[in-house]
Amino acid sequence: MDSIISTFHIDWKIIIAQAVNFGIVFAVLYVFALKPLGKFMEERGKKIEAGINNAEKSNELLQKATEEYNQNTIKLKQISVNAHNELQRDLERLRADHVAKIKADNDEWVKKRTEQMAIDKKVLVEEAKSEITSLATLMVEKLIKDKTELKDL
Amino acid sequence: MVSNTTQENTNKEVRLPYQEQPNQHITLFAEPIFYSENFIVTNALLTSWVAVFIIAVLAFALRFKFREIPGKIQNLFEIIIDGALSMCDQVTGNRALSVKIFPIAISVFFFILINNWLGLLPLGGFGIVEEGEHGLTFVPFLRGGTADINTTLALAVMSVLGANIFGIFSIGAWKTFNKYVNLKILGEIFTKIRHEPTVVIVAPITFFVGLIEVVGEFAKIASLSFRLFGNVFAGEVLLVSMAALVAYIVPIPFMFLEILVGVIQALIFSILTVVYFTIGASDHDHEDEHTHTEQVATA
Repeated sequence: MDSIISTFHIDWKIIIAQAVNFGIVFAVLYVFALKPLGKFMEERGKKIEAGINNAEKSNELLQKATEEYNQNTIKLKQISVNAHNELQRDLERLRADHVAKIKADNDEWVKKRTEQMAIDKKVLVEEAKSEITSLATLMVEKLIKDKTELKDL
Repeated sequence: MVSNTTQENTNKEVRLPYQEQPNQHITLFAEPIFYSENFIVTNALLTSWVAVFIIAVLAFALRFKFREIPGKIQNLFEIIIDGALSMCDQVTGNRALSVKIFPIAISVFFFILINNWLGLLPLGGFGIVEEGEHGLTFVPFLRGGTADINTTLALAVMSVLGANIFGIFSIGAWKTFNKYVNLKILGEIFTKIRHEPTVVIVAPITFFVGLIEVVGEFAKIASLSFRLFGNVFAGEVLLVSMAALVAYIVPIPFMFLEILVGVIQALIFSILTVVYFTIGASDHDHEDEHTHTEQVATA
């Protein structure tokens, strides 16, 4: 043992000094590098994990929303087709109603106008007749008058 | 930069550098640079202080560079840390345990790595010339910190001692004590002898194995310290030998080899530290019970 100690110059003071050196290295590395870095890495890991979880949740939500959208689209298509058909039926019915109404109005109007025209014609004929009569009377009167005056002369 | 400065040689005849070429040889031990009362500051210790300073400066610099969105340096450091932690996981097989052991293992790694690499720097060409037994001797200011057995011994002792202290905190003092002086198994002789008569033979053997474990702990210290010291010292010898043979270009590949060896040795030491800490934190009784349960389940 003594020969080993003397050959290698083993000195307990230097051993302690080297142990202290290592202690300093350990403390410095732990306090200034490993601990803060570990903290940073852990926080980042948590954030990444949370991000992945959120992304998974978002993906699930997206899938649900897509499914819902597809289902709603199909429903809406069906509803719109039904509504379109119903509307078309309503429109045809309305058009038919309107056409019938307009035709009826038109017929009535034509009838009324025809009747009115008949009345007007009758009145005009009557007026013309009375006018002709009065003109004829005037002409006769004038002829008589003229013949009378000639006789006087 | 060569200067004649030693404490002991003040009364001796001073020889100027041009009068005699100093010997450049590597000693097994770190050479003293200066003395402070009873304390000898060796070049290896000086290198260790430089290593501590470099690590401290890097740690400070990193601390103020940390951002939530990492920059290049932080990214590199995070990659190293993450890789090292994964490696630690492979040894422990348990992330919680790895997180506890990791700061010590990574500190060991960086301390050894910087010490190994500092020994390779050309700054080792700076030093003092001392009057020795074989004439003038050149003593470099920097010698790889791990090329001194005192450093590796200190690290090995801390590693093995730390593993046992960690074991006490993890599984308790009684269980840790029973790993070495297995009083529990001796007690089982009286309780289990009716059901398992073989316990009379097994228990003393287990007790003896526990005692051998004590020797094993010292063997761990010896193997850790001498492996690291031997590898780094051999590397320095190799470099000096190559530089002595052909001063230019030829030592360069060996320098690269030593850079690699520095990393590998630091890695081996830190992984072994993790292994010892894991063993320290493992509960044999619990493992036995677990194995027994598994066997029953399999049966």
